[in-house]
Amino acid sequence: MFAAAPWLINSDMSLLPLLESVSNWAPIVLIRDSKYGMPAVQSFHLVGLTMLLATVVALDLRLAGLGLRDYGLSRLARQLKPWTVGAIVLVMSSGLLIFLATPGKYLDSHPFRLKMVFLGSALLFHFGVLRRFTAADSMARPWPVNVVVACLSLTLWFGVGWAGRAIAFIP
Amino acid sequence: MPLFEWCQWLQHTRFATAITESDWLFPLIEGSHILALPLSVGMIVIADLRLLGLAFCGEATGKVVPSFLRLSRIGFPVMFLTGGLLFITQAGKAYGNPFFRTKLIFLLLAGINAALYQKLLYPKMADWDSARGAPPSAKFCAAFSLALWIGVIVCGRTMAYQF
Repeated sequence: MFAAAPWLINSDMSLLPLLESVSNWAPIVLIRDSKYGMPAVQSFHLVGLTMLLATVVALDLRLAGLGLRDYGLSRLARQLKPWTVGAIVLVMSSGLLIFLATPGKYLDSHPFRLKMVFLGSALLFHFGVLRRFTAADSMARPWPVNVVVACLSLTLWFGVGWAGRAIAFIP
Repeated sequence: MPLFEWCQWLQHTRFATAITESDWLFPLIEGSHILALPLSVGMIVIADLRLLGLAFCGEATGKVVPSFLRLSRIGFPVMFLTGGLLFITQAGKAYGNPFFRTKLIFLLLAGINAALYQKLLYPKMADWDSARGAPPSAKFCAAFSLALWIGVIVCGRTMAYQF
């Protein structure tokens, strides 16, 4: 995923023309040029972020044994999952619209590339590693392992957030 | 001193300009304000969704609501502190901004709604743990809270486009 950005820019066979035509597609132009188009899509992105990180933090706190200790771990994970997945769909679809509205701003941005690295890693970690650690109740594992897994999850997801914020401040 | 002039004065105090002119302070404060959203509003949203019968239906309302409200206490101090600092640095610009004003009204209403819930409905929560779920009054509070908090996020994001 993160290898795509330099390739888009550098290669002669790049997807740049396609990207350009998509960003000039009427619905995208409407978002970009109308007064409240971008604020609306950005607001969806923030509501999604709020929901996504809330469910991730809740699960990580429980895994680390720092909160929600009266909930069974696997049961909590099952109950949070549809909201996490729904929030991921919301942030990624609104994020895609923001990207397509001004692709030039993001393709050249270092924080954006870092954000995509964090995003790819966070998604892989969440569905590849964290899911396994929260699928069964954690009594059998030494707790430091759970704490490390929870901290990695929080670092990756908040890394996505901080890198995203940095797009506005760092070239 | 009239409120607008006070806001202008606040924005030009040495404290405020020091934050604005710092390369890293303003981004740090603004980033913390946004990334504390899940730790504050996000937890309230989960509690509201439980009251509406949309999430955590396998767990009792009387268990889910207090435990997520407790987690929201991590984020709200950060929210109010960073929000206060952001206001200080942009007070003059924020004063006349309709989205900022709407955000404040929504925050006030969310506070009143939460206080009423705390006083009237919170003590009765233990009785709702039957299959029927929360009464309509509690569901109304939860839906109102959900709408207000989404409104706060939308107004907060949109006001920045007008600075």
